[in-house]
Amino acid sequence: MTILARLEQWREQGAISPEQHSHLACLCRGELLSLFLELNLLLYAGVLAFVAGLGWTATTWSQQLGDVLVLAILSTIFVTCFWYCFSRAPAWTFAQTPAPNAAFDYVLYLGGLVWCIELAYLENRLHILSGQWDVYLLATAGFFFFLAYRFDNRFVLSLALSSLAGWFGLTISHWPSHQDAAYRLYALLYCLVVGFGGALLQRLGLKPHFFGTYLHIATNVLFWAVLSGVFEHEGYSLWFLVLLLACGVSLAWGLKRRQFAFVAYSAVYGYVGVSSMLIRNVSDFTFVLTYFVFTAVAMVVGLVVIARRFGRQA
Amino acid sequence: MRIYSAASEETLRASKLLADWAGEGFLTQEQYQRLKRETVSELRTTNIFLRLILFLFTLISVCAAAALFLTVFVPHSWEQTNGIFLVIFAAVSYAAAELAASRGRLYRYGIEEALAVGSVGFLCVGMEFALFSGHPLLTASDAAHSLVPAAGAVFSLWIWRRFGLWYAFPAAMIFTIFLSGYWTQSDAAQRAIIAVFFVVGLICVAALRTRHRFDYLDDTYSLAEAFLWLGIYLAINLKLSPSNLPAGWWGWGGSGVAVSEYTRWFYWTTWVLIWVLPPVVLVRGIRLKDRFVIAAGAIAAVLTLVSNKPYLGWPRHTWDPMLLGILLTGVAWFLRRWLGRGPGGIRAGFTAARLSGKDKQWMGASSAVLGLVTPQSITPSPQTTSPEVRFGGGASGGGGAGGDY
Repeated sequence: MTILARLEQWREQGAISPEQHSHLACLCRGELLSLFLELNLLLYAGVLAFVAGLGWTATTWSQQLGDVLVLAILSTIFVTCFWYCFSRAPAWTFAQTPAPNAAFDYVLYLGGLVWCIELAYLENRLHILSGQWDVYLLATAGFFFFLAYRFDNRFVLSLALSSLAGWFGLTISHWPSHQDAAYRLYALLYCLVVGFGGALLQRLGLKPHFFGTYLHIATNVLFWAVLSGVFEHEGYSLWFLVLLLACGVSLAWGLKRRQFAFVAYSAVYGYVGVSSMLIRNVSDFTFVLTYFVFTAVAMVVGLVVIARRFGRQA
Repeated sequence: MRIYSAASEETLRASKLLADWAGEGFLTQEQYQRLKRETVSELRTTNIFLRLILFLFTLISVCAAAALFLTVFVPHSWEQTNGIFLVIFAAVSYAAAELAASRGRLYRYGIEEALAVGSVGFLCVGMEFALFSGHPLLTASDAAHSLVPAAGAVFSLWIWRRFGLWYAFPAAMIFTIFLSGYWTQSDAAQRAIIAVFFVVGLICVAALRTRHRFDYLDDTYSLAEAFLWLGIYLAINLKLSPSNLPAGWWGWGGSGVAVSEYTRWFYWTTWVLIWVLPPVVLVRGIRLKDRFVIAAGAIAAVLTLVSNKPYLGWPRHTWDPMLLGILLTGVAWFLRRWLGRGPGGIRAGFTAARLSGKDKQWMGASSAVLGLVTPQSITPSPQTTSPEVRFGGGASGGGGAGGDY
């Protein structure tokens, strides 16, 4: 029975009203198509392309155009974006607030990215911030956190979190080359700050829907940091214990809250860590293959049990 | 031909639509709970995260099992022997996928998907070893060698039809790209062959989908059509896909053909086509109200704008991305306003309003992820820092801006 036949049946049974039937049948027949996602994607791609071109132009033509002109243009865009946002923002509330219009979030995001370009330009050309990068990063993170909470914007929240990560000395691009103990500890500290900060803000009821973003970022950074410790040749036992603990907590959280991304994190990161511990000194190829056959099958069985008990719904 | 009955898939589709409508407030919770009971499917499904990791671990176990068998039972054997065993593994893996779907009633569960995907991989590698051991890959003089990608394409298409796995279709298209490399060394001829294959596929899909406009197969055919349009576009755009397909894509031999070696008429015909194709695709997508085909047309249009200057031999400017950004945001802004001013915010069956609860979830998740990732990719690399990491000495320029800009 097609969905259209079902809708007809439900209308006849009185399960849905004729108006509901008309609207839902219209959706099913494709008579009404929403371009909501597509238009948002266009706006996002547009902002991104514009900022990329702006940065490229500023760096390439700074000498010909002159610093004053470049900074004036950047400042004008920046000020215009924030004037627009502050003048049109709805009254602030603790709860989730919808944007006043579709372009609002992207104007704010554009302003945030232009702010980054302007400060980086100031440092590169005029060295105003020389030796003050840590202060700049912390201030920028603080500024973005303020904007994210004022305007209820996840894009800017992510910018704030990545700026804060920068202050801790973390960058995604540098991760593979900096797997030393100090880097790992800063990563753990970052996780603690982000995780507890997010939890505290959620407890205070301050934009509680942001908590998921905090938690995903903190969990992934935590697992990367702990795994880098497990991969060490010496002193990895403690990190292995921490990995097991983190996997247990992530699994329990994922199952309790029905957030299966955390189940996936614990399964994948845990499997990688445990496998590296167990087969790191094994040179017998047959043993390694046997290990993968049995452990992967065991993982499948365990995950099927979890899926049947907890994870049926998408 | 489908392993799942139409009734089961329709029921599952109805169940998903109900959840979607309830999420967007088109149904009350009471209505949703009542109707949900009428759309219980016997198919076993799971959520996307468990599906992904089940796929991963099933694939690991299947590949490791095959490698273990070859290592233990036929060590030091010839490649041909290994190839024959791999073809047998392909059959076993495929049979297991069939069993998992038919007896286990697994539907998009990860396990049956990994088994089906594994069977395609085993078949291609097995045929390569069994039939062409010692032959160099991708030599135009060896037309018989095209049996391997041909088998891969046909088997992928079968899996797409049988199990309804959307990604098997682009996999079949990729196998098709490899076919032409065995038949001719001429880059222009390779592109023409690929385009002809995709056009034939497009005609078949377009003919088939008219019968399934309102049923559960519509999305499957819609996605396949979008992939085919994009495939045709990429095959004819000389500035996006590298010369000497597919060797150029994978770096296998083939130093690539200089653009000047294309005949003049071929070069300019492709230039005309890259301008003609996007509007054609967009118009078809709009007429069918097909989300995927519209997206394919929009992507092709943006790619045409990006590749036009290289085609004409004009220099790129640093402000080109800015102009593109202004154009994209301008189009989005204009469309939204134009649609919004229509009666009830609707024009010609299109609306800028959200009609699906899933859109909201997608927006929430993607805004957080994209917000994290994009600053890293649009700004220059951070400055080189001393190896000693200092607390508070971040090298990243907030929001990803480079420390040295």
